Amino acid sequence: MPDEIEEKVLTVLASVKRIPRESIRLDSALQELGVDSLDTIVLVSELEDQMKIVISDEAVRSIRSVRDIVEGVRKLAPRLPLNSAAAVE
Amino acid sequence: MTGRRVAVSGLGVICALGHDLTEVWNGLRGGRLGIAPIRSLDVSKLRFQNGAEVREYDPGSHFGPDLASLLDRFAQFALITAREAVKDSGITLSPGLRERTAVLCGSCLGGQISQDAGFVDIYLQNRDRVHPLTIPRTMANAGASHISMELGTTGPALTISTACSSSNHAIGLAFRMVRSGEADLAIAGGSEAPFGFGLLKAWEAMRVIAPDTCRPFSVDRRGMILGEGGAMLVLEPLEAAKARGARIYAEIAGCGMSSDAHHITHPSAEGANRAMRAALADAEIHPEQVGYLNAHGTGTPGNDPTETQAIRELFGAHAERLAISSTKSMHGHALGAAGALEAVATVMALRCGILPPTMNFTKPDPLCDLDVIPNLARPARVECALSNSFAFGGLNAVLAFRAVARG
Repeated sequence: MPDEIEEKVLTVLASVKRIPRESIRLDSALQELGVDSLDTIVLVSELEDQMKIVISDEAVRSIRSVRDIVEGVRKLAPRLPLNSAAAVE
Repeated sequence: MTGRRVAVSGLGVICALGHDLTEVWNGLRGGRLGIAPIRSLDVSKLRFQNGAEVREYDPGSHFGPDLASLLDRFAQFALITAREAVKDSGITLSPGLRERTAVLCGSCLGGQISQDAGFVDIYLQNRDRVHPLTIPRTMANAGASHISMELGTTGPALTISTACSSSNHAIGLAFRMVRSGEADLAIAGGSEAPFGFGLLKAWEAMRVIAPDTCRPFSVDRRGMILGEGGAMLVLEPLEAAKARGARIYAEIAGCGMSSDAHHITHPSAEGANRAMRAALADAEIHPEQVGYLNAHGTGTPGNDPTETQAIRELFGAHAERLAISSTKSMHGHALGAAGALEAVATVMALRCGILPPTMNFTKPDPLCDLDVIPNLARPARVECALSNSFAFGGLNAVLAFRAVARG
C-alpha cells in the first residue's frame, strides 16, 4: 500500500500533468511520463505549497523518477500527519 | 553580404562594474566582481541573496526632477548610455543626419518595476490609484522613445523584446539598417532593471538563480546571477567614420539569428550553432579567423554544456584555439541588456587586445572543456570575435565583430 507521502506525490503529479493517477508508478521515469523541466518546477512548487516544505534547487535538478521525488519529500517531511495536506483540486 | 561596412564609433555603458565606459572596461579587464548581496530591496524572503546591481546610482545627477519621475530605471539606463555613446562618438547630429538616425533598444522586462510598485499600491495598500505616470514609465519602448526625443532623432526607433537576446537582436538589426543604407547612423543596445521583489520572486520560482555566485563553465556552477544596467553602441558607415576622423572601436561585420523551435526554456545546441554559423556567413568571416568569443555563458547547468557543444560542432579543431569567456561572471545576467553589455566587452577586447576573463572559475567541467580564460584577463590581439545571446523561447542572436587598425 502506498503511504501518504507517496500518495500525495502521485496525486499532485497526476493533477499537474493531467494524466490518470493509475498511469504513474513509483519507478516511472519522469521522462517516460512526459514530465519536462517546466512540469517539474510546477510540481515541486505545488508540493512545497501543500506540504509546507522547501525543496532546494539542487534537489530538484537531481530528480529523475517519481521515486526520487517521494524520497526527497520524505526526508523533508518525515512525520507528516495523516490527512494534513489540502486535497488537490 | 553586399552593402556598406559598419563601424562601432561610440560606446556608453552602465552596470554593476561602473557608471561609464572607463569604469566598466577597467572592471572587465581587471576581473572585478559586480556580484554582491542585493541592497536595493529586502531579500530576506528570497532563496537567493546576491545580484549585480548598479551601485551608488543617483538619478538626480543625470536627470532633472521631471524626467527622473517620468523614467523607470530601465529607461534611465537607456538614456544615460545613449548620451555617453553619442558624446563618445564625437558625432554632430545635424538636422539631416537626425532624420537618418535609427534607435534600436532591447529590453526583456521594460518598466516592470514601476508596474510592480503600482500593484503594491492597489493590491497591498488598497489605494484607489496607481502613480499617474505608470503607463509611460512601464512601456517597453520608453528607452527608445526618450533617446529619440532627447537627441532629436526622427528616423526609425523601436524596441525589441526577445528575452535575453533582446539587445543582440537590436544591435544586429541596427547594423543591417546602416549596412543597407536604410539609416546613416544608429544608436543601438539595450537596458534592463530587474530588481523588483515580484520579479525576483518569479526568477526564484524558475530555480535558475545561483545561491552563491555565477561560475560559468565551472563544474560546481549553480546558476545565473541577475544583473542590471544598459549599454549603447553608435553605428555608422565605416567610410563616414573614417572621413570624420572618428575613433573606430571595431567593425561590426555580421549578425546571425535563429530559432530553436524546440522548448520554451531548454536551450538547443543546434539552434545556437545555426545562429553562430549565420553570423560568420553574414560577416564573411571564416571560423579560423575568430580568436575570441564572448559566450552567453549564464552559469546554469543547462546553458553552458549546450553552448560548448554548439561551439565545438561549429569550430571543429579550431575550438581548441578559441578563447571564450563569460563576462556575466562579473556584471551578472542583465537579461535584455546582456547582449549590449557583452558587445561593449567584445568591442573593447578587440580594440585593446585584452580578452576579459571568466571569473569565479573553480574546476573545469568535462562538458565545458573549452579555454574559458579562467579568472585572469589575457593580452591577445585577435582578428575577429563573436558575441552570443541565447534566449528563453529559443531565440538566438549572434554578433560578429572585426578588429580595425588603430589610427
